[in-house]
Amino acid sequence: MKRHIVYILENDFRNFFRYKWWLVGLISMNLADLFIMAIVYNRMLNPEIIQQIKSYFNFFAPGLTVTGLFASAFMIGREVNMEKRREVHQYLLSLPMTRFELAFGRVLSGGLRGMMYMSPLLLTCFAFVGLPTLTQFFIILCVLFFLAMGISGLSIAIAVSTRSIDKFVTARGLVYYLLFFCSSVFYPFSLIEQLGREGKFPLFLVQFARINPLSNASDLIRSFLLGTPSFSPEMIISVLVFSVVFTGLAAFAYIKLIERA
Amino acid sequence: MVIMRAIWFVSQIAFFGLIASRMVAVEDYFRYYVGGLSVMTLYSAAIFIGFDIYEEAEHGVFEYLLSLPVTRRQLVLGRSIGGGLRAFIYVAPLMCIALYVIGIANPLNFLIALFSLFLFAFGVSGMSITLAVAIKSSDRFDILMGVLDALIVRLSTAMYPLSFVKEANPLYGWIANFNPVTYAAELFRWGAGIESLISFDNPLLPLLGIVMFFGFFMFVGIVLYDKSIEGGGWR
Repeated sequence: MKRHIVYILENDFRNFFRYKWWLVGLISMNLADLFIMAIVYNRMLNPEIIQQIKSYFNFFAPGLTVTGLFASAFMIGREVNMEKRREVHQYLLSLPMTRFELAFGRVLSGGLRGMMYMSPLLLTCFAFVGLPTLTQFFIILCVLFFLAMGISGLSIAIAVSTRSIDKFVTARGLVYYLLFFCSSVFYPFSLIEQLGREGKFPLFLVQFARINPLSNASDLIRSFLLGTPSFSPEMIISVLVFSVVFTGLAAFAYIKLIERA
Repeated sequence: MVIMRAIWFVSQIAFFGLIASRMVAVEDYFRYYVGGLSVMTLYSAAIFIGFDIYEEAEHGVFEYLLSLPVTRRQLVLGRSIGGGLRAFIYVAPLMCIALYVIGIANPLNFLIALFSLFLFAFGVSGMSITLAVAIKSSDRFDILMGVLDALIVRLSTAMYPLSFVKEANPLYGWIANFNPVTYAAELFRWGAGIESLISFDNPLLPLLGIVMFFGFFMFVGIVLYDKSIEGGGWR
């Protein structure tokens, strides 16, 4: 079983490196966000927020790590959708491995590719914001791995349930921007809560931002590196639930829908 | 692409613009940001013409275009204006949303701003065509556009006022001062009546900057088209 999954991983990693130019573009955009946008926003913060987060650069660096992880782990969905459209899935189904090995291998490779892409961003974050303890480092890696698996699962579930590239791209856009912007990746959660209390932001979106795994993963890194917000087990639980649900859903959807296609 | 851009645009206004305006100590930042967002969207729509060039080269349409009874100059000019107009058509509904949020204080100013945005879109299309023709490799073009997009938008006043960019890093401020995205964003805001945070006293200066940007890439585009397009060599 392990050997079959390793074959899937090898195939998906080869494909990942075919997009090296795209990856360079993505990483330069991420670094421009950190070293230009975050530095300028640092100067623009209002005094209340300065008291709360001290520096926008430090606040944003963990968020950026999580967005990088999200974007790269999500790439597997594009490949799965393309395989479905070009009927490469027939070949994959004919391989001497079980459906579960195939499905789990795809989800796992999506997650591992996300972790690989995210590593330099996480190291940049540690270099500029601060170092965690060994236990904290281990927890961060575990949580990010589970997050990457969940994201990979989510993208595969979307990829196999959409027939055309247009529908996939539209669904991906909706999920991307909802998860990115309705989270504490770019701004403290207290601001979203405040807008919700004032009736300027729908309460269900406030709730969504609270349980959003991107919010929780970013806040977990911040709690270890910056001390704010304070650590809460909910941060880990939220990511774990997201991961278990979407890894399971993706494996199930991949097996069922890919056979039907 | 239109749907993707629309989702991005609306989520930027409804989430990022709204929440970030609470985070910063900049008066009327929400309207300021929405103005810049329109220019960012126009920029990324206008850049797309370069990718079309690679598709045409791949499918052999290039040879057909070169065989048409038009001069190379007319071809580049036509493609740049076509790319700019197409970008405008893509972005027009989104700009209407932006204008609904911002409002228009002076219709005459707005018409001048709109004219400059047309020139800006033509210039960006010209730049995209020039780079596509000069590079002749879709992979390299892809990466260059990604990096350029990351830098040109962030090192401009599309997202933040020039005074803060200068304060953050004088080099960033210097680049932003000569960035066509800055000129377009400032003119759009001036046209819409958000004048308090504009960095130029005289709107003629950014307008002149955009005219120069348009003229430069039109000229370079024509020269490059003439010199490098014959004989293929596309990768």
